[in-house]
Amino acid sequence: MIKMLRRRLVDLAVVLFGVSILTFAFIRLIPGDAVAIMLGANAEVTPERIEAVRERLGLHLPFYQQYFVWLRDVFTGDFGVSIWTGRPVIEEIAGHVWPTLQLTVLALALAVVLAIPLGILMAQLRGRRAEAFVQAASVIGLTVPPFWLGILMILCLSMVAPHLQLLGYVPFSKDPLGNIARLLLPAIAVSLPILANLARLLRSTLLEAMQQDYIRTARAKGVSRRGLLYRHALRNALIPFVTSVGIMAGYLLGGAIVIEQVFAIPGLGRLILGAIAERNYPLLQATILLVTLSFVLVNLIVDLLYAVIDPRAAK
Amino acid sequence: MNRSCIATLCLALTGPVLFGLPQAASAAPIAVAVDSSPSGLDPHIVTAFSSFQIIEGTIYEGLTALDKSLSIVPGLAESWTISEDGKTYAFKLRSGVKFHSGAAMTSADVAASLQRVMKKETGSPLASRLATVEGIDTPDAETVVIRLSAPTAPLLSSLSSIAIVPAKYLDDVDTLQRKPDGTGAFKFAEWQPNVAIRLVANPDYWQAGLPKLEGVNFDIVPEAATRQVGLASNQYQMLPNINAVTALQLKGQPGVELVDTLELSYTLVGMNVTHPLLGKAKVREAINYAINRDDIVNGALLGAGVPGGPLSPALKQWAASVDRFACFKHDPAKAKALLQEAGVAGPVSLKLLVLPRDDTRAMAQIIQQQLAAVGIDVTLTIPEIGQFVQDWRNSNFDLFISANAGTTEPDDYFYRSFRTGGSTNVFKYSNPELDAQLDRGRAEVDPAARRAIYNEVQSVLACSGPAAFLTYAQLYTGMRSSVEGFDILPNRSLGSLKNVTLK
Repeated sequence: MIKMLRRRLVDLAVVLFGVSILTFAFIRLIPGDAVAIMLGANAEVTPERIEAVRERLGLHLPFYQQYFVWLRDVFTGDFGVSIWTGRPVIEEIAGHVWPTLQLTVLALALAVVLAIPLGILMAQLRGRRAEAFVQAASVIGLTVPPFWLGILMILCLSMVAPHLQLLGYVPFSKDPLGNIARLLLPAIAVSLPILANLARLLRSTLLEAMQQDYIRTARAKGVSRRGLLYRHALRNALIPFVTSVGIMAGYLLGGAIVIEQVFAIPGLGRLILGAIAERNYPLLQATILLVTLSFVLVNLIVDLLYAVIDPRAAK
Repeated sequence: MNRSCIATLCLALTGPVLFGLPQAASAAPIAVAVDSSPSGLDPHIVTAFSSFQIIEGTIYEGLTALDKSLSIVPGLAESWTISEDGKTYAFKLRSGVKFHSGAAMTSADVAASLQRVMKKETGSPLASRLATVEGIDTPDAETVVIRLSAPTAPLLSSLSSIAIVPAKYLDDVDTLQRKPDGTGAFKFAEWQPNVAIRLVANPDYWQAGLPKLEGVNFDIVPEAATRQVGLASNQYQMLPNINAVTALQLKGQPGVELVDTLELSYTLVGMNVTHPLLGKAKVREAINYAINRDDIVNGALLGAGVPGGPLSPALKQWAASVDRFACFKHDPAKAKALLQEAGVAGPVSLKLLVLPRDDTRAMAQIIQQQLAAVGIDVTLTIPEIGQFVQDWRNSNFDLFISANAGTTEPDDYFYRSFRTGGSTNVFKYSNPELDAQLDRGRAEVDPAARRAIYNEVQSVLACSGPAAFLTYAQLYTGMRSSVEGFDILPNRSLGSLKNVTLK
């Protein structure tokens, strides 16, 4: 266990380092110059002014030097300031983490809580006429784009209940009920494909598990059908399920860009999108690093969960 | 499917969400939905419209102001006198004006604000507007005297766009970006990045009885569909400065009203005169003849706009009627003849750099066809905005199509765009005669004489200048019918929010 943890932490460092180099290179490969974008097209801009801004931002240095300056600062805990707003990058990110975290937890909770009974139901329906219907529904769930569903839900609600305030975001500390209410619609929109995906996964792994030898043995020993399903098959079927949930969590923590855009939620997705459009190098760099970190950490947690589900994995 | 049936479906779709949700709080401040988050709020530093629309006329005011028809009226200066030679302006300040931070505004604050704009370290895009200022005197707390090196007619107009801030910010270029401090009807209260900017009424505002609202909330809502639904459901009371397409979608919705005006902002096809063909005035004129502006208005603006010359028809006191420009009459035969006269034989191919916006993209396609009809083969390049700005600034194009904000003062835009070596003369255009006229226009203080000069400038630019001016669009603001007293302005200013009431 400890050994695994240590190995994983080394992996983490390597991944973060690699990602930091890639991000650094890629964002500078995008055509368009940060300073030109910042100064805009209409303003009166002299070459001296452009040069002055460039120097202030450290963009006059060669690429590799910029990277080392950045790396040195990061090790002292300084992620730089946002090119546009001049505020520390850490502060900017901190303001956007919470909505994304909430949306992730809410969407995942919805998906997982519904996917387990649905998956079991689908497995039990195998061979019956209702199966085709449930399968079709799950394919629809899988393929409906969340942003479309989101817009549709907004439109519908504005017809049915025009007085509800469902757009935007209010901090939990200010208005807890309003906060949850505003996140509910986007969470539903984001969770639908995840729900469909997880339920289908659970169905197929359950059915597969039911074919295994140990199930036949258990059945021969006289274990009831319920016992077979819940105690023996489900536990084994959960491993790929948990892996899948982990990957989804990783993606969601990176910010649901489109849904955040549609529902005007100030999450990491919008922060990243804005940073790319502005060529806001320091902000983008730090945000991507954070997203990578959370992705790797979630995977680590999933691995630890394996040990809980299947003690053999702990070795 | 009838309405109740749709409603039932909707209920089924969203029913679970409806339970136990809070209803809208009583809406005392007005909620204005805007599409992007500003980068900063310092009135002397920002360049983006997303910043201006929040601070201009609401938080900040200048010595002069613009009224509904864009004429200059007194602002923080109650009156002024101009010396015989046009080189000395004396402003008498309004008494009883206070900054949001509490101190009274004096001539020292005005002098410091102007100096702050002129200081190199501030890097203000407004600096060039004060280029002829030689000195600023403050004989007493309520008088400011500006001395100029040469008569500068645009000064009064320029001063309307230069916000007066407390003198203590003279050397501070950081604080005001985050925490504005002005004299306007609304004062800054809170900024949640990517969520909202909240302004509250200024109880000490110098104009008695204003503002009427308790405050203004600028909600940052990037998605157009969301903004529209928000207006329809009264979560937002105003969608300022929207285009015809959006307005059309809002039209007829219950409780939603639209107001409109012709806007200052315009579209144009710019030409790089260093290109061997575009360097010839006849070729540029031919392109003007080949373009059918009515088609563009109908095709790209849904008919909501007008063909326009170098100045917006919204600037009634300056703009020359397009009837005066021969080349604005679509005439492909004449275009072909001109090309022939210019010695252009055989097919020509040009690259058109397109501003990535819906309207300019549509216009580019229309123009591509219109130019093909006279034998000019146009290839479109539609980069993303960052690349566009860079290519534009570096004159890396044969032709470009773009939308510019436009200004109320002709000198402001003509001088930097079309004078030899002007800071946004990306056309690389140089015409000594025009230069001389622009210099005269800048120095001439007599309104009638100035108008004559700029009439001349417009005629030169319209047909053989380095740009084919295309259209001026109709600008709309959508709002709830509960909003009263709002005036939409061609320059997109939301300054009239101070007169607004919410029923």
